[in-house]
Amino acid sequence: MLDFFLAALTPLNLLLALAGVAAGTIIGSVPGLTATMAVAVLVPLTFGMPPESALILLGAIYTGAIYGGAYAAILLNTPGTPSAIGTTFDGYPMAKRGDGDLAVTIACLSSLVGGIVGAAALLLLAPPLAEAALAFGPVEYFWLAIFGLSLIAALSTRDFLKGLIGAAFGILIAMVGISETSAEVRFTFGSNTLLGGIETVSALIGLYCVPVLIELAATSGRHLKEDSGGTRGFRLPEAFSTLMRHKVNVIRSSVIGTLVGALPGAGGSIAGLVAYSEARRTDRRAPAYGQGNPGGIVATESANNATVGGGFIPTLVLGIPGTPPDAVILGALLVQGVRTGPTLFSDGSSIVYTFIFGLFLATLLMLPVGLLIGRFAYRSIVRAPKAGLVPVVAFMTIIGSFAIRNSLSDVGIMLALGVVGWIANRRGFSVSPIVLGLILGRIAEEGFVQSWTIGDAMGNVWGQFFGRPLSLVIIALTLLSFVYPFLPALTRLLRRRGTALPGPSDKREPADPAAILRDLAGISVMAAVAGVALWQCAGLNPEAAVFPRTIATGMLVLCCLAALETLLTRRVVEDRSYGSTGRRAGVVASMAAGIALAPVLGFATAGIAMALGLMLSSEHNNRSLRGWGLLALSVAAVITVFTIGFREALSVPLPGGLIF
Amino acid sequence: MTKFTLHAVATAIAAALFAAPASAGDFPPGQVEYIIPFGPGGESDITARMQQPYFEKLYGEQMIVSYKPGGGGAVGWSQLNGMAADGSVIMGVNLPHTIVKPLQGNVGFETDDIVNAYMFHYTPDAIVVRADSPYQSLDDLIAAAKENPRKITFSGSGKGTANHLVSVRFDELAGIETTYVSFKGTGAAVTAMLGGQVSAEWGYTTVGGGQGDKVRMLAVAMEERHPAFPDVPTFRELGYDIVSGAYRGVAVPKDTPEETRQAVSDAIAAINADPEFRQKMIDGGFALIDVPYGPEMDAWMKARAEEYIPAARAAGVID
Repeated sequence: MLDFFLAALTPLNLLLALAGVAAGTIIGSVPGLTATMAVAVLVPLTFGMPPESALILLGAIYTGAIYGGAYAAILLNTPGTPSAIGTTFDGYPMAKRGDGDLAVTIACLSSLVGGIVGAAALLLLAPPLAEAALAFGPVEYFWLAIFGLSLIAALSTRDFLKGLIGAAFGILIAMVGISETSAEVRFTFGSNTLLGGIETVSALIGLYCVPVLIELAATSGRHLKEDSGGTRGFRLPEAFSTLMRHKVNVIRSSVIGTLVGALPGAGGSIAGLVAYSEARRTDRRAPAYGQGNPGGIVATESANNATVGGGFIPTLVLGIPGTPPDAVILGALLVQGVRTGPTLFSDGSSIVYTFIFGLFLATLLMLPVGLLIGRFAYRSIVRAPKAGLVPVVAFMTIIGSFAIRNSLSDVGIMLALGVVGWIANRRGFSVSPIVLGLILGRIAEEGFVQSWTIGDAMGNVWGQFFGRPLSLVIIALTLLSFVYPFLPALTRLLRRRGTALPGPSDKREPADPAAILRDLAGISVMAAVAGVALWQCAGLNPEAAVFPRTIATGMLVLCCLAALETLLTRRVVEDRSYGSTGRRAGVVASMAAGIALAPVLGFATAGIAMALGLMLSSEHNNRSLRGWGLLALSVAAVITVFTIGFREALSVPLPGGLIF
Repeated sequence: MTKFTLHAVATAIAAALFAAPASAGDFPPGQVEYIIPFGPGGESDITARMQQPYFEKLYGEQMIVSYKPGGGGAVGWSQLNGMAADGSVIMGVNLPHTIVKPLQGNVGFETDDIVNAYMFHYTPDAIVVRADSPYQSLDDLIAAAKENPRKITFSGSGKGTANHLVSVRFDELAGIETTYVSFKGTGAAVTAMLGGQVSAEWGYTTVGGGQGDKVRMLAVAMEERHPAFPDVPTFRELGYDIVSGAYRGVAVPKDTPEETRQAVSDAIAAINADPEFRQKMIDGGFALIDVPYGPEMDAWMKARAEEYIPAARAAGVID
C-alpha cells in the first residue's frame, strides 16, 4: 500500500494533480461548463501518459470542477454545475448580506471534507458498497426523486401551493422532446429545436442567472455588500469554527454524497439536494435555511464532492459509470487497457490504488487552490462596477449555455426561460421549485414508467411501488420532509385549541383587488400550461403519456386550490420589486440581440455589441466619456479572452460569422 | 525522437496513405471533431475513445470527442447537416436508430439525409442473465416464459432500438410473451439486471466483455460464435434465425465533397485494419465489420432497412 501512495507523490503526478484541480475549479466556476465537459475535453492529453498519471489528472479535474460550481452559486445565484444547486439557497443570501468571502471559504473546507470521505470510502469500502448499490432499482430512484422534490416544502414556505405548481411546471418542461425511454416525441409542437428537450444546465442558468441580471440592472444598489472594514482575508478561523459547529452536518452530508454517488446514474445534483434536505430538517440554528444559514453550504458542498469518490465505486467495481464524468473516465480507462471489476481491488493492481491516493492528493490541494481562486472570484465580483459586471456575466451565461451542446438554440431557450423565471417570481412562483422539477422530473419519470411496466408484468403494481423495504424508508423520509416546515404552524394550532384564550392573529392585511387579479392571472397561466399539456397527452401512447398526464392533472387541481385560497384568504404572495422597467427590457433585448447576431457577426463581436447595450442598461451614475471608454475596453478584453479560451483550449466550435 | 521528426513521420505516413487519391483538399484539414450523439459511457463513446489514439497515430492530428446527447441520438443527427462539410466534423451513427426513428414522427432528420461514410462494427444482441440466475440455458428461459406469460422481464436500452426489436422478434419465433422494460442506455439496463429488478437483459456481447463472470450469456445473435465467448451458442444454433445488433459507423454532413467522404471512409478503414485495434475491440465484445462509402454502403443500408422496418412495425414502434 505504501508503494502506491509514494507512486502518487512523484513530481509529475503532484504537478498533474495541482494543474488538474486548478483547471477543474476554473472550468467548473463558469456556469454551463460541467465536470463532464472539463474531463472530456482533456482526455486526449492523457494518451501519451502512463495510466496512473492520466487517471490522477482526470480525477483532479473532476474534483476541482465539482467544487468550482460553488463560486457562481454563491456570488451570482447561479449554480456553476447542477451539483451546486443547493449552494445557491444559502450561499447567495450570505453573499448579499456581506458574507460572500466567508461563504466561499466554508464551501472550500466543506468540499475538502466531503472529497476525503468519498475517497476513503472508495479506498476501503468499494466492493461491498457497489454490491449494495445494485439493490437500488427503478422504484427506489423514483422515490428518491420524489424525496428530492420534497425540498419544495422548504423552499416555498411563503406559498406551498405555488411551490408545488412551480415544481409541476418544471417537470412538464423536463418532458419536452423525445422521451428517452418511450421514444415518443412530446410537447415540441412540431419544432425541431425542441426535439432534444430543454437542456437542463442551460435552463438552470436561465432560470437562476437571468433574473439576477435583470434586477441588477434595474436597481441602483450594489450587487453584493462588501464589508467596508477593510480586508478580512479568507476568514479561515470563522469558517473553521462554522464547520466545527456543523460537524454532524458535514459528516452526514459527506456520507450521503458518497452513498448517492455510488448509485449508478444518480450523481451530484441529487446528493446535494438530499443532504441539504436532511441538514435543514435537523438544524435548529438561526437564520432559517434558505436565508443564509452556512449549514446549507456545508451540506451541499460536502455532499457533492463526496460523490466524486462515491461515483468511482460503481465505475471501478462494476464498470458502470456512477456519474457522467465517471463515464468519460471509464472510457479513458478502457483505452489505457485497464479492466474494471472487483478484481481490480484484490489483484493488488497498482493503478487503482495510485489513482485513489491521487484523489486524496487532489482533494487536499483543493484547499490552497480553492481559497486563492475563490478569493480572486469574490473580489472581482464584489468590486466590479455594475455596468461592467452585468455584461461580463451575461456573456458568460451565453457562452456557457452554448458550450453544453454547441447549440445556439439552447442559448435562446436559456434566455426565454430566464424571462419566464423572472415573471414567475414576481407572481410568487419562485424559481427553485421549477428547477427541482426540471432536474428531478426526468429521473422520477424513468423510475415511474419502469416500475409501472415491471409491476404490471408481475400483476402487482401496488406491491412494486410500496412493497420494497428500501422504498418504504425513502417514502418515510419524504413524508417527514414535506411535513417538517409546517410543524411550527401545526404546533401553534394544537396549542391554541388547548386554551380558551384567543391567540394572536396570523392574518395579514388583505391584498387589494388589483393584486388579487394579478395573482389569479398568474395562476390562470399555469393552469393553461397544464391544460395544454393534457391536450397534448391525448395523442401519445400510454407509456409516454402516463407520467405527464398525472403531473398535469395534479397541476390543474393545485391551480384550482391556489385560486380558491387567494379568493378566500385574500392573501397574495408576490414580489413587486421596484426599479426601471426600461432597463429591465434593455437587458433582455440586448441579450436577445447578442444571440441573434452571433452567427452573423461572430461570437465575440456579437458579445461585445451585446455588452454595450447592457452597459447602457445597467449604469446608474454619470460616467465620463473616458470612463465609458475604459469600461468598454475592459469588457471587450474579457469577452475576447473568453472567446479565445473556449475556442482554443476547450475546442468549442463557436460560430465565426463575418468578423470574429 | 523530436517532435518535429515525429510530425514529419506522421506527415509521411499520411501522404503515403493518400498518395493514390491525391486531391486539392487534403484530409484531415486539422483536428477533427468526432461527435457522439449520446452521452458519455455507452458503446458509442467507448468505441470513439478506442479509435482516438489510432487516428492521432495515423495523421498526427487530434480527433476530439464531444457529446451532443438527446432524443436517442436525434438531436445530433438533426443538426449534422448544418455543420462544417470540410472533413473537420464527423458524427457517430447507430442502426437501427437512424432507420427507425424518422418513421416514428418528426425527429428532425430523415434516413436518407445522413451520409454514412463507414460502418465499422456492431454489438451483437445477446440475452444476458446474472451468474446466479436460475436460467442456465436459453431453453430454461423459454420454458419459464411459457409457464408464466409476461412475467419474465427483460431490461434493454431504449425503445425502437436493437435490444427492443430483437426482443419482439424473439418472442414471435419462440412463441412466448415476455415484458421488455426500456432503460436509458446500456449502463442502466445492466444495473437493473445485476440488481435483480428484471429477470434478464437484452444486452450486447459487450456486456459479457465488461462484466466477466458476474453474468452469463445464454445466446448471441451472430452468424458464428463470438471469438471472445466460444462457449456461448448463437441463436441460430439453437434454432432461432436471429442475427442482429446495434451497428455503428460515422457520417459526414451532406455537403461534404465526394473526395472528402472517401477520405473519411479510408481513415476509419485504416483504423479498423490495425491488428492491435481489432484485437482490443474483439476482446471488448465488439464484432467488426467493414462497410465503406459508396455502392457497398448503399446496398448495405437498403438491406438493413428491409430488415428493421417490418420488425419495428411488429414491435408497435411505428404504424
